Formats: sequence, structure tokens, C-alpha cells
Amino acid sequence: MANDTTNKRKAILVTPENCIGCRACQVACKSWNQLDAIKTKNTGTYQNPPDLDADAFNIIKFIEVPSQMDPMRWLFLSRRCMHCGDAGCMTICPSPGALFRTPEGAVAFDHKKCIGCKLCSSACPFDVPRYGEDGKMSKCNLCADRMAASMTPSCVKTCPTGALKFGNRDELISAAQKEGFKTIYGEKDLDGLGTIFAFKDEPKLYGMLENPSIPTSVIFWHTYLKPLSLIGLGGVVAAAAIHYLAIGPHKEEEEKEEV
Amino acid sequence: MAEMIRKSSVDEVVNHLILAGTCILLMITGYAFLFHVEIIGALFGGFNTMKTVHNWLGVAFILSLLYSLHHYLIDALEYDADDLQWFKVAGGYLSHKVKVPPMGKYNPGQKLYYLAVVVFGMTITISGFGLWFFQSNATVMLYSHLIHNISFCVFVIAVPVHIYLGTLANPGTFQIMVNGMMPLKDAQKKHPKWIKAIGKM
Ligand code: HEM
Ligand code: SF4
Ligand code: SF4
Repeated sequence: MANDTTNKRKAILVTPENCIGCRACQVACKSWNQLDAIKTKNTGTYQNPPDLDADAFNIIKFIEVPSQMDPMRWLFLSRRCMHCGDAGCMTICPSPGALFRTPEGAVAFDHKKCIGCKLCSSACPFDVPRYGEDGKMSKCNLCADRMAASMTPSCVKTCPTGALKFGNRDELISAAQKEGFKTIYGEKDLDGLGTIFAFKDEPKLYGMLENPSIPTSVIFWHTYLKPLSLIGLGGVVAAAAIHYLAIGPHKEEEEKEEV
Repeated sequence: MAEMIRKSSVDEVVNHLILAGTCILLMITGYAFLFHVEIIGALFGGFNTMKTVHNWLGVAFILSLLYSLHHYLIDALEYDADDLQWFKVAGGYLSHKVKVPPMGKYNPGQKLYYLAVVVFGMTITISGFGLWFFQSNATVMLYSHLIHNISFCVFVIAVPVHIYLGTLANPGTFQIMVNGMMPLKDAQKKHPKWIKAIGKM
């Protein structure tokens, strides 16, 4: 697929155990990307805004998991684009350049080139793409502009506890493994995610998909239908040329002799 | 000049031009989306405009296809023993030595082609409307995307075959697409049952 990643691949490592739910990352993202405020309603949770939005590229999910041992366990999970190595959004997008891979391996977008077809949200395993009032897609781009200037993404820059870390993907993974985290979510899935998670418990507890994958129909389309449409047309042109030369066009005269 | 006979009415010729024109433009823009062909996008002033053009071409295409039903559908649904025999000799296209049975106005290959265009013209249009108007429903989008592309594959194979048969493979036929006329003599040989039915033989 067209989703090459380089060995300089950068990533964000999320460690929910270190997160205190302050949401400075949400504010920093809004501030750097100049996103508007969203009016929301209180529905009995601190999670706010309730989900990703064209004006909210990252949110902290507040997940309560009370148990007998720990009646007050609260998980804070940073949710955003995963910058998949094999990105469904990029595979399905019909407009060249609307979604593109940065040299650091992030999946970024170009508003001007997006045609607002909204296919990307149906091909994203993580339900990430959102659309603004102009109908164009918006999501976290790992602060591609900051990375290009060797700066840290704004959310990571502002995080006071180290719950968000930014760096070379390989190094982040080995460091987390050394610290004793058994599951690094996103290490292998979809050719490796660019947002990876150091989890103490099963990913399920954090509300993560167990085996994220691009929808089967999208893979089928990409591997079979796209080539078929070219081979089919080429085959017909070739067959017509061969037919014309080997058998030749219809001739009334010949037929008359036969009758 | 040889005596001519009208095979297609002006109405038919004009509608076929619209059908063929919209269909070919839809296929070209379709390929551009599928393979990110930037030059084609640039011809339309960018992919944003090309998407709008593609959508409205689809509307023109389906209207033209529905209008064509009263031209061809009844013919396309009728098959007789000669039609069966036509398939056995592959319409005479694989050898000039076989005897092709007498045909009506259209041969069964053309009739089946028309039915395929109707069926896949419907699926490609309905799925196209799915992609256009159900953008917030991922299930509808994914099914539409799949069906749209399967139908596309049928079109890019069937239409070029049709174009070859209507031009190079059958010299003289192309004239029918332009002015609806063909020489009476040719028609008597190629479509004896049709000519008999209209009392010119
Ligand atoms: C530039 C491309 C095309 C050319 C040169 C062409 C040529 C022709 C010709 C010469 C005929 C008359 C055949 C006869 O009456 O025996 C015909 C009929 C017809 N064409 Fe086309 N055509 C083209 C594109 C298309 C397209 C794109 C469609 C549909 C999507 C289409 C659908 C039909 C249908 C339904 C008929 C009625 C008879 C039949 O089934 O063959 N044509 N075409
Ligand atoms: S998480 Fe979704 S939007 Fe982000 S790169 Fe993966 S497929 Fe694309
Ligand atoms: S909405 Fe924009 S980014 Fe998403 S698939 Fe369509 S053109 Fe690509």
C-alpha cells in the first residue's frame, strides 16, 4: 500500500497510569491548531467534549472501572488519530494529497485537497475522522507543522506528568518495555500505530479494539477490484486488437458466398 | 445513392449520445478518483469540482438510461430459437465461415448487453446516491463503495466491447449512432426478420 513509513518514524506513547486528567493536552491542541470552542452539555461525566470533533483533535476519556479491590479506579485515556502504519483512511481516499504521510510517519491532511466525500471515516478502524461545517475532514496530524520544525507536538509539550511522550517510535517502545509494561498497544497492529499505549491491564479495559483492522470490503476493493478495473479495460482493448487482426471485421460479401 | 432505412429514431440517437457521453465521462472521472490521476483532475479544475461534475453526470446518465427503456427494453426481453443458435455460432464473430441465423432488429448479444447496462446502471447509480447522500452512515457508505466499484468493473469491460462491435468490428454500423440510418440492402441481410416485420422485403 501507499503507506510507506520511514525508519525515522516518530510516535506518541500514552501511559494512562501517569495521566491525572488535567486535559492540558486538549487545551494546548486547541491553542496551537486554532480550533473553536464547542458548546457541550453536562451528562454526568467529566469527559468533555464527549467525543472527538472537527474542533477537538484529542480528548481524554474518563473511564470508571470500580472493582472490590479498588472501588474508585478511574482511567484517563488520550484518544486521537492513531497514525496507522497501514491507514484505512489513506487507502480509501479518492483525492490525491488530501491525506498524506509526513516524513515522520504521521498521517496528515490538506483541507484544500479534501473533497468532503467522507469515505475516510467509514474506512478508519478507530472512528477518528470528523468533518467541519465546510464538510472537510479534520483530525490530529501529530502537529506535522511543529514536527517539521523539530518541535514536539503541542499536547506532549504541555503534558505535566509524562503521560504523553514523543520520540522515535522504536525507542519509546523499548523504554516502555523496560519499565515493565507487558502490553504495548499498537506495536504490531496495522503495520504499527503511531499512537501507542503502555497498558497495565488488558486493552479491553481501556475500551480499545482488540484486533483493529481495515474493513474487509475496503481491503477486497483495494487488492482485487482496483487492479481488475485496469486489467479488464486493457484486456478488452488487447482482445479487440487481436480479434481485428486475426479474424477481422464482419464482411457482407463473404457471408453471401456461404449462403 | 443506395436506399437507406431508419434504424434509430432521432429521439433514440440523441438519447444514445447523452447516454454514451455521460457514461464515458463518468468512467474517465471514475478512473481519476480510483488511481489519483492528477492530470484528469486538473482538466476539471481540481478534484473538488470533478466530484461535483461526476455526481451530476450520474444524474444525467440515469435519466438517459431510464428514458432508453422505452426504446430497447421490450426488444431486449424477447428471445427465440434463432437467438439460441446465434450463441452457438458466437454471432459469427469467431469465424466468417459459420452461418449466422436470421436476426431481428437486435442480436441477442446486443439485447443482453442492454440488460446488463440497465442492471448495472441501476446498481452503480443507487450506490452512487448512497455515497452522495448517506455520508454519516458508515455501513451504507461501505456497501455503496463496494457495489459502486463492482459495477464500475462491469462497465469498463462491457462498454469497450460494445464500442468495438459498434465501430471497427462492424464497418458501417457507427453511422446508426450518428444519424440513425443504414443501407436497406445491409439491413435486409443483417436484420431480415425486422425488415420483414416492417414490410420492406
Ligand atoms: C462512444 C462510445 C459508443 C459508441 C461508438 C457506440 C455505438 C453504438 C452503435 C453504433 C449502436 C447501434 C447498434 C445497432 O443499432 O445495431 C449503439 C447502440 C446502443 N448503445 Fe452504444 N455506443 C457507445 C457508447 C455507449 C454507452 C456508454 C452505452 C451505455 C452506457 C451505450 C448503450 C447502447 C445501447 C443500450 C444501444 C442499443 C442497442 C444495443 O444494445 O446494442 N452505448 N451504440
Ligand atoms: S486512526 Fe483512522 S484516521 Fe488515524 S491514521 Fe488510522 S485510519 Fe487514518
Ligand atoms: S473526506 Fe477528504 S480526506 Fe476523507 S476520504 Fe474524502 S477526500 Fe479523503
